[in-house]
Amino acid sequence: MRTNLDRRHFLGLAGLGAGAAALAACGGPSTAGPASVVDTGQIDFTGIKPAASIDFWTNHPGKSQDVEKAIIEKFQAKFPDIKVNLVTAGANYEEIAQKFQTSQAAKTGLPGLVVLSDVWWFRYFSNGSIIPIDGLVKQLDIKIDDFQKSLVDDYKYDDKQWALPYGRSTPLFYYNKDHFRAAGLPDRAPATWQEFAEWAPKLKATSGAQYAYIYPALAGYAGWTLQNNLWGWGGAWSKGWDITCDSKESVAALQWAQDSIYKDGWAGVSSKEAADDFAAGITSSTISSTGSLLGVLKAAKFNVGVGFLPGGPEAPSGVCPTGGAGLGIPSGITKEEQLAAATFLKFMTEPENTAAFSAATGYMPTRLSADMSAVLAATPQIKTAMDQLAATKVQDNARVFLPGADQEMAKSAAKILTQQGDVQATMTELKKTLEGIYTKDVKPKLKS
Amino acid sequence: MTVPLTHNSTAAPAVRPGRANATPPDGPTAKTKADQPRRRWSGRSRKDFVVFLAMALPNLVLIGTFTYWPLINNIYYSTLDWTLGSASATVVGLQNYVTFFTSEDASKVLGTTAIFTVLTVGGSMILGLLVALALNSKVRGTTFARSAVFAPYVLSGVGVGLVWLFIFDPGYGVLAWILRGLGQQSPQWINDPQLSLVMVIIVYVWKNLGYCAVVFLAGLQSLPRDVMEAAALDGANSVRRFFNISLPLLSPTTFFLLITTMLSSLQAFDLIRIMTPLGNGTSTLIYEAYLQAFGAYNRAGYSAAISVILFAILLVITVLQLRFVERKVHYS
Repeated sequence: MRTNLDRRHFLGLAGLGAGAAALAACGGPSTAGPASVVDTGQIDFTGIKPAASIDFWTNHPGKSQDVEKAIIEKFQAKFPDIKVNLVTAGANYEEIAQKFQTSQAAKTGLPGLVVLSDVWWFRYFSNGSIIPIDGLVKQLDIKIDDFQKSLVDDYKYDDKQWALPYGRSTPLFYYNKDHFRAAGLPDRAPATWQEFAEWAPKLKATSGAQYAYIYPALAGYAGWTLQNNLWGWGGAWSKGWDITCDSKESVAALQWAQDSIYKDGWAGVSSKEAADDFAAGITSSTISSTGSLLGVLKAAKFNVGVGFLPGGPEAPSGVCPTGGAGLGIPSGITKEEQLAAATFLKFMTEPENTAAFSAATGYMPTRLSADMSAVLAATPQIKTAMDQLAATKVQDNARVFLPGADQEMAKSAAKILTQQGDVQATMTELKKTLEGIYTKDVKPKLKS
Repeated sequence: MTVPLTHNSTAAPAVRPGRANATPPDGPTAKTKADQPRRRWSGRSRKDFVVFLAMALPNLVLIGTFTYWPLINNIYYSTLDWTLGSASATVVGLQNYVTFFTSEDASKVLGTTAIFTVLTVGGSMILGLLVALALNSKVRGTTFARSAVFAPYVLSGVGVGLVWLFIFDPGYGVLAWILRGLGQQSPQWINDPQLSLVMVIIVYVWKNLGYCAVVFLAGLQSLPRDVMEAAALDGANSVRRFFNISLPLLSPTTFFLLITTMLSSLQAFDLIRIMTPLGNGTSTLIYEAYLQAFGAYNRAGYSAAISVILFAILLVITVLQLRFVERKVHYS
């Protein structure tokens, strides 16, 4: 292969390349300085007519496609002029985020309403991708005081409300009642991990299962559930914006977790989905989202018990994080679409609809006035999730506000729990990474 | 990225590419085309040109729109500090490249990419050649075996990844079940980064060796019989015939496979995405580009820089192969 690239050809190609690059600079993001921040809290929707059609992007959390369809049908009957298109925008929160941010970059194809998880909404806020809904709450008379306060407060920043809770969950302790009975253990979740450490050898000896306990899959949301262990030992991923994952307490918590696998030999780590492993009988107990509850109850061929998350040596209670997803409205759509989306958002979070959603999935009802009697009669285990809400704690900033922190935490957890890596060294390294993310990606965007 | 390659293992080119004009066909004194006066724009050639445009233009437009335009855009984005989803960005010049090459990411990602590429290309080609040799023998069932070997190549990477996850799952996978029967614990294929890489390489080689086998088989079946028979008459045994005659004569096929499998390995995505979504231990350049922009970090500019680095590597490998490796190839 030979090409004759003389000076004229070279200059011609260089000119073409420079021209093309200059032309490319016409598309994509603006580089003319920071985007002007619209005071979206003051958006005036008076005189605006809702759009005739909007898309609702969801990943159907907790296998909720059928109940979402049913709620939309009810909405169409009440609001025939607003058509809501149910769009499966991903298999999980991350895939929705991918699609949403790509559309945001392309400035086209945005939905009216989007499911946003605990770790994504702040990024949407900081990128200016979603609007505060305070004006719409007022105009549409959304009863914000009737929502579970802690769940609604999760989406507050800069004195504005950026989303409303939808499929909200906490982790639950799932246990195999039959295994517990065979091991002569009480029919309840352990109060602390120390208590469980005493039970575990008995379970392992009598149950026939591979593990007495299985840690949730690291590729999932390891950073979420491991907060339970960290908090129980008095540690945390972070305290405020200080990264504390390498503190004495945090290291002790993760060392205990490592020992439960390698030294004591009664615990394992799930490869894909701990709830599935539990339902398949591989383990006698695990921790998984309340959103997995209905699926586990349907799949398990044994009696399933659920309980609060166990405490630790430093904190016997108040060691459960909240989680799950809310609903937000994009900033890059028309006011008409935003109003139509808010109308649907209000309907979707009405007490009877949140109760229906809860009944179908196991997620917590987000409204105080939701009548859960029928739901609890059918699935009494949901009551545990509801009661545990009072003992929840706001998640660590490092996990929910630092982009990519969840992935970094999962990688570090993998090093500790599946490769028996040195806990202190791994956490020191993680701290460095998280501080780098904070300094580069978050600190410049925080209000001083 | 595609490389215009033509492969014909049977018909050897009369003149090696790139040397066609080394000597004018009529001798050194004959006038070359460049010396001749330009032909006039005759009605015939205009008509030919219109036909050429009609045939080529749609493709050129498509390639320009969907290949070169995004490529140019990507190079521009690589000079930005841009958070995906944000409407604004800052021009940072080559800072994203500096960040990549001065971070720990570079050695990790480039190392993983090199290991993955070398082992998948080597594995697919060596095993593909062995399978091709087996399929080339005249025994019953080779037609079925050929289809069976080739089938994984045409299957969706997503489907293949999901099925193999069930095999490798340390909890309830087939492999774990077999190992438990033998009194052994299953390795942590999915959670351990080193084993994850091994797992993905195994599946990738399994999926792609059929392609290499079929191409090698075509090459083997087109080898000149007279040469092989002459070697046999001269007393060369089958091993010697393979290494001294078959393998050198297969060099055009090997060269073709080397380029195509290397390019596809460097761009392997689906299996890595499905089997190891976190990319823990399996983050090759292309997957790292994906993770940085879309996975969690939203660093669109940084991700674009990684993509440009990958593009440059692919370009260099292709040029090096075409310039140097091809010289070692026997076309006849």
